[in-house]
Amino acid sequence: MRHISLNERYHMFSEAASSYEDKKLTFSLSDDIVATGFTASAGSRILEGHRPVYDSTVSARMRAAGGSLIGKTNMDEFGIGMFSVTGTDIPKNPFDLARSCGGPCGGAACAASLLDGHVALATSAGGGISVPASFCGVLGLTPTHGRISRHGLIDSVSSMGPIGIMATNADLLRRYLKVISSGDPNDPVSAAQPDLVLGKSKLKAVAVPNGITDLVSTGVREAFDRSVGTLRDMSVDVEYVDIPELDYSMSAHYILATAETALNLATYCGMRVGQQSGDMSLPFDDYFTSFRTKYFGTGVKKRIVAGTYMTLGDNRNELYMRSLGIRRLVMSRYEEILSEYDAILTPSTPITAPTFDEVSGIRYTDEYLTGRFAVPPVFCGLPCLSVPCGYPDGVPAGLQFTAARWNEDVLTDAAAAWEKAFDIKAPEASL
Amino acid sequence: MKIGLEIHVQLPTRSKMFCSCPAVGAAGPNEHICPGCMGMPGTKPSLNKEAVVIGIKIARLLNCSVPDTMWFNRKIYFYPDLCRHYQITQYETPIAQKGVYYLGKKPIRITEAHLEEDPGTVTRSGDGSLTDYNRSGMPLIEIVTEPDLSTPAEAREFLTALLRDIRHVIDLPDDGERTIRADCNISMAGSERCEVKNVNGLKNVERALTYEAVRQTKILKAGGKIARETRHYDAERMVTTSARKKEYAGDYAYVCDPVFGKVDVKSIMDGIEHKESPKNMVARLVSEYSIDVRIAEQIVNTSVGLAELFEHLAKNVVADMALKWVTGPISSSWKALEKDVVARTADITDIVIRQRDGEINDVECAMLLKALITGKDVDAVRKGGADLDALIRKAIEENPSVADDHKKNDKAMNRIIGIVMRESGGAYSSSDVVDAAKRILDGL
Repeated sequence: MRHISLNERYHMFSEAASSYEDKKLTFSLSDDIVATGFTASAGSRILEGHRPVYDSTVSARMRAAGGSLIGKTNMDEFGIGMFSVTGTDIPKNPFDLARSCGGPCGGAACAASLLDGHVALATSAGGGISVPASFCGVLGLTPTHGRISRHGLIDSVSSMGPIGIMATNADLLRRYLKVISSGDPNDPVSAAQPDLVLGKSKLKAVAVPNGITDLVSTGVREAFDRSVGTLRDMSVDVEYVDIPELDYSMSAHYILATAETALNLATYCGMRVGQQSGDMSLPFDDYFTSFRTKYFGTGVKKRIVAGTYMTLGDNRNELYMRSLGIRRLVMSRYEEILSEYDAILTPSTPITAPTFDEVSGIRYTDEYLTGRFAVPPVFCGLPCLSVPCGYPDGVPAGLQFTAARWNEDVLTDAAAAWEKAFDIKAPEASL
Repeated sequence: MKIGLEIHVQLPTRSKMFCSCPAVGAAGPNEHICPGCMGMPGTKPSLNKEAVVIGIKIARLLNCSVPDTMWFNRKIYFYPDLCRHYQITQYETPIAQKGVYYLGKKPIRITEAHLEEDPGTVTRSGDGSLTDYNRSGMPLIEIVTEPDLSTPAEAREFLTALLRDIRHVIDLPDDGERTIRADCNISMAGSERCEVKNVNGLKNVERALTYEAVRQTKILKAGGKIARETRHYDAERMVTTSARKKEYAGDYAYVCDPVFGKVDVKSIMDGIEHKESPKNMVARLVSEYSIDVRIAEQIVNTSVGLAELFEHLAKNVVADMALKWVTGPISSSWKALEKDVVARTADITDIVIRQRDGEINDVECAMLLKALITGKDVDAVRKGGADLDALIRKAIEENPSVADDHKKNDKAMNRIIGIVMRESGGAYSSSDVVDAAKRILDGL
């Protein structure tokens, strides 16, 4: 089948269904969303071979709506990374095989880009929707935190990062957002949401943070500036505002994300799930340690060490607790702006997809800054949308709209309006 | 000597704290488990509100303040008996904060009490260990006291009083389904403290503390130093042994649990009816009805239900008269009455009122109460009483020396009581036999 031959070339799936019914909607899940009948390793060797005993809520809802799950998509190990190169396999960019799909959920964006009418669900933690959607030239919708049940999402970061949707058109986003939304008793966070209302809002006014294009590559800047023009042609009011608070997001996000990761990943130690091939005669402290040393990747270990540091002793107040306060501060600034504008407009990423050569030479902090626009909305639990907005050097650049809490409506409207005004290109996929 | 306790009480909820598995009553190991409490990747906890309600009741008992909103924390826990390897507990916002519990007149300060989940159980077996996760996720409250207790005996006395109160206010049955464990912290003046973990039972708390007090005193006398450490209590050998060097709070990484967010405790609190604690009830009975504190203790210790019956009677007749019947025939047949005391309160009150009004005399009143409580008819009770008298007189005739001995020694009648109890095959309650034997012997 086509998805299998494409996978041989692009490596988007960690596991692909051998067949599926024609005419059915096909969907995929990033490898950290569990589904019965498929393995779920969250891109980590420590969970290799893990077969979940239950279906995630999003999987169950997509299947109930007639969807056919055709594969689990490759991602960075436990959602930690910006280029999808730390997982069990590396997906290749549909526009250029030598380039990264972006991360953490690169395989999902790759699948959405290459397969007709496909819906790719993936986690948005660490910018996991906007970054790969931008690099692979598809639409990516990150809903409000709490809109989609995370039951069945193997999360390393638990206070942020809802499950989002990637697809090639606005209609798919809208239809399947409806399918997977609404409260779920298995995830208390999702139980408190207001009803999802679509079709009522119109995108009329957006705010652009001052100085935002100083932080991006030339290609991205040019695409962004042209997009501002396009929006104005669509009679959207574009104004420039100061949002200095956004600058704090990245450090505070890093602290919270690493702290939560260090804690949540304590679950994985070679007992009960995934890899269990360790030496059982060791005392359990030694068993846990040897196992985690062997099967966690470098990026994950860095986060565990950093995250442990963030919460130990006095650091807990100085770093972790203070970051929670910063999150509230940034949130309230967002709320202020979004009470006056329908959305905040930024590029989705400061660069277009780098080549794998460039990725291997990139510094840890620079890699992290690839998410400087994609991470802040996720950090604050706000919904955002990435759409393709240009093709500098033949690879896609992305435009990101961030809306107020629960206002996915304005984003699906923006997606529909944008795809009329801008000519979204499909990659020339070759088998 | 300074002693502080951390008391873990398993709460009487139907389901576990963060999933819907039943909390107790599993037929075998690992029967009450689900993807949630087995820590299957991707599952999310959801909070059992009943645990919060019970937590609030305990906070009130401990005179603690309760925060308007609270949250839970995740704490790294690298042991195999909790599948997620982090424990959901409370760190910044314990449900009960800064309280005091009076042991007689002595205030024992309560640092805090927080809600958390219990881990499972590990059993050593041959060359390996077996884990049972039935208990994993059971709701637990941990009550932490300041080091205000000064002797092992006082610690035991404190625990006894506190547990009686807790059992009553949260309706925690003493049926062995749910356990109460204590971590005992003890230090000698000017020296480091040791913590004896997971001591089960009141007697063992006192024994473990006594053992530690002696051990630490010996070390100090010999010029040694006490190392801060965690110790285990071996209930069989009645000794404590070193387990590991004590961690400090900063060694645990606490992260706020993001799944429940903030729990609106205030709104939960509004709907709760609080029961009066037995300890407060004793104090109130003493002041309200001018009865002796020991008698009030005795009634309440027998049962809060008995004390409530006393109050009802006292309001309908007078306190003295109510006390006479409650401590007399009613209390001696309490076991038979306990289950349906509420349904029979009106009838009991009628009988006591008839006695007050002179319609019946004391003997008849006692007989009517007995008949009502035991469900026998009055004639049978009367006959039973007569038969009992006959049995006692027969026993005295066969053992003539007892009558003389009884004048010198109260215990002499025990022989008669023993004979009658044996011969009647338990047809009469021991208190009835004692009363009757005393009456007859006194009258000889």
